[in-house]
Amino acid sequence: MKFKAAGSGVVVSFEADEVAVLRDLSRQITQVLDGGVPDHGSDAVRDRLFPRAYVDPTEDRAERDFQSVVHEDLVRAKAHAIEALVQGLDTGRDRRGRLDVALSDKDVELWVGALNDVRLALGVTLGVTEDRDEVGADDLQASGFGLYDWLTYLQGTLVDVLITGLNN
Amino acid sequence: MAGSAPSTIEAPVEETVVGTDTPWLVIVWNDPVNLQNYVVMVLQKLFGYSLEKATRLMLEVHNDGKSVVSHGTREKAEIDVARLHAAGLWATMERDRA
Repeated sequence: MKFKAAGSGVVVSFEADEVAVLRDLSRQITQVLDGGVPDHGSDAVRDRLFPRAYVDPTEDRAERDFQSVVHEDLVRAKAHAIEALVQGLDTGRDRRGRLDVALSDKDVELWVGALNDVRLALGVTLGVTEDRDEVGADDLQASGFGLYDWLTYLQGTLVDVLITGLNN
Repeated sequence: MAGSAPSTIEAPVEETVVGTDTPWLVIVWNDPVNLQNYVVMVLQKLFGYSLEKATRLMLEVHNDGKSVVSHGTREKAEIDVARLHAAGLWATMERDRA
């Protein structure tokens, strides 16, 4: 994976196996999103993607109302971001086995959101903690953690692209 | 307020109704997944905070485990929590008991 600045936005150049991994994760997260209003406590990944709003158990009724009002929009927004990620891969240019994906600032914004949801889901599954030593982000096949660190590097670099735009 | 905030993000509206609702606090909790620069970016975009303020709130979340990022009526707090959830931040709301 390599990054090239491109006026407004960025070009990300992926290896073929990296593209396959992103497509696979996008399919998985789409399935997770597709489960209706969350029943908190039954699925750790969905609990993290759709957290409770109210901590106070006496507000359970308000919590149910909140979830029923916002859940559909939340799913739609997250699905839209994942679609933008897949679409970016679909429209990438093949260059000798690599895929160059040109992203506008708007694309980068959607990719960053999609990658955040993918990392949240993977982080919960792996039991990621803050004190963990990073494994080499170069080898995304090494383990789930290698993949996780690779996604962290991709998302973090894209956030920097947006932060630069936001504060200039 | 920060001039860099995208125009599509609505500025928080101050409520003037008195005595009908206890203020609610919107809290962002520490999370091992969300990147520091991502949290700063989200707080800037959603609330129009300056880079300095967004960074201070992010560091509070990181160092103290949580930070109050906005407050207001129950309705406003619900809207803010929903926007934070859409961005993948772990946010909850509770009554201001102070």
